[in-house]
Amino acid sequence: MYDERIGYWVVTRYDDVKAVFDDWETFSSENAQAPVRERGAEAKRIMAEGGFTAYSGLSARVPPEHTRIRKIVARAFTPRRYKALEPAIRANVVREIETMLRRPDRTGDLVADLAYELPTVTILTLIGADTSQIDTYKRWSDSRGAMTWGDLSDEEQIPHAHNLVEYWQECLRLVEEAHRTHPDSLVGDLVRAQEAGEEITDHEIASVCYSLLFAGHETTTTLISNALRVLLAHPEQWRQVVEDPKKISAAVEEVLRYSPSIVAWRRRAKRDAVVGGVEIPAGANLLLVMGSANRDESHFEAPEVFDISRPNAREHLAFGYGIHYCLGNMLAKLQAKVAIEEVARLAPGLRLVDADAIEFGHNLSFRAPVRVPVTWEA
Amino acid sequence: MPKVTFTDHAGETRAIDANPGDSVMETAVRNGVPGIVAECGGSLSCATCHVIVDPADFASLPPMEEMEDEMLYGTAVERRETSRLSCQIRITEDLDLHVTTPETQV
Repeated sequence: MYDERIGYWVVTRYDDVKAVFDDWETFSSENAQAPVRERGAEAKRIMAEGGFTAYSGLSARVPPEHTRIRKIVARAFTPRRYKALEPAIRANVVREIETMLRRPDRTGDLVADLAYELPTVTILTLIGADTSQIDTYKRWSDSRGAMTWGDLSDEEQIPHAHNLVEYWQECLRLVEEAHRTHPDSLVGDLVRAQEAGEEITDHEIASVCYSLLFAGHETTTTLISNALRVLLAHPEQWRQVVEDPKKISAAVEEVLRYSPSIVAWRRRAKRDAVVGGVEIPAGANLLLVMGSANRDESHFEAPEVFDISRPNAREHLAFGYGIHYCLGNMLAKLQAKVAIEEVARLAPGLRLVDADAIEFGHNLSFRAPVRVPVTWEA
Repeated sequence: MPKVTFTDHAGETRAIDANPGDSVMETAVRNGVPGIVAECGGSLSCATCHVIVDPADFASLPPMEEMEDEMLYGTAVERRETSRLSCQIRITEDLDLHVTTPETQV
């Protein structure tokens, strides 16, 4: 179906979404980070004058450039490196839950009280950025989300344009600093790789930072929020998780299927193609709706039912598929698992307050609950 | 014809005729072999196509690259001496490979 409002061909079936992701030669990711709504003149001027030259770290790059950079970055972002962080992640979760539970009015918001800070600290630590600047990074990330996937008027874009300039300047500074101090961090590793002869420029390293300092927490904040939101909304399944924490990994997969952090992602046809029996002309833009594919009844039985024992939940497309498959998928799942384990242990009696009133941010790709209010018995 | 024999954690065995040039992961997925998930489609990003190679066959395979070795630290069931990611093992003309799939991949 062609959606005239955004100028995209909308793909909603599981097999079609997966096939488009898989065929990167026909369907390029070059438009994945393009502003859905064109930037206004004033925002463009601010960004040009501020030296803003970032576009994409990896997600909107295409082979052979993508292959070259991804290989170098993947080596610096492996399970071996971030598994070392698990004890620190767990300690952060426990501290945040205990702080919330001490509140005398017995009310909390799982977004602000738990999901907001945790993945942000993790990614800032991995990258070697300043962990005292969480709110600054969250502000920059909100601006990046709004400027790329939102629908802001020219006037509304202005403060966000200033934020993006600041954000990019900080990425450039991190790389410049790493050349001098050679820190034990992801940026340090990338700079060392470059100095050892790997083909990656400073601009590309800064672009990777620009990506990871956004993608590395925004969607994990959403995953943790959604995981607890959905599990608490199904008390019988929450009870299973509390009684048998071994079920948590499967529960996280089902959350990713049922309520993925990113519900839609973009591609561009490089040649005439056929998707789901529909002819797509070369140059056309496609919107792949993973949120819909994940509930395709031809792939998932009773797709509208949330079921943590669903045998094929992990076939979801929440992380995409193929060469651009989410680099941080294992880190995201690790953090969601630890968060659920500790909430189940420390606050098994948590209850949602007015679950139907939970609101989500407005944009084309990210479906993130604004607040997840909870309460508990004394 | 090359052949891959998959044994699951309960001991059930499936012998599959394979095509040269495919990966062991692709061979499994195309033939509906349970126990291989391959979430990422072979981009070396998910570690859900973990197999334990029969020690008798292990040395005959080309050695793994650094990145596969790193990713094996992320498998759901802890890696063993002869663990590999099946998306990185190419089927060659006379291959007769025996692998065991772990109890879980996630």
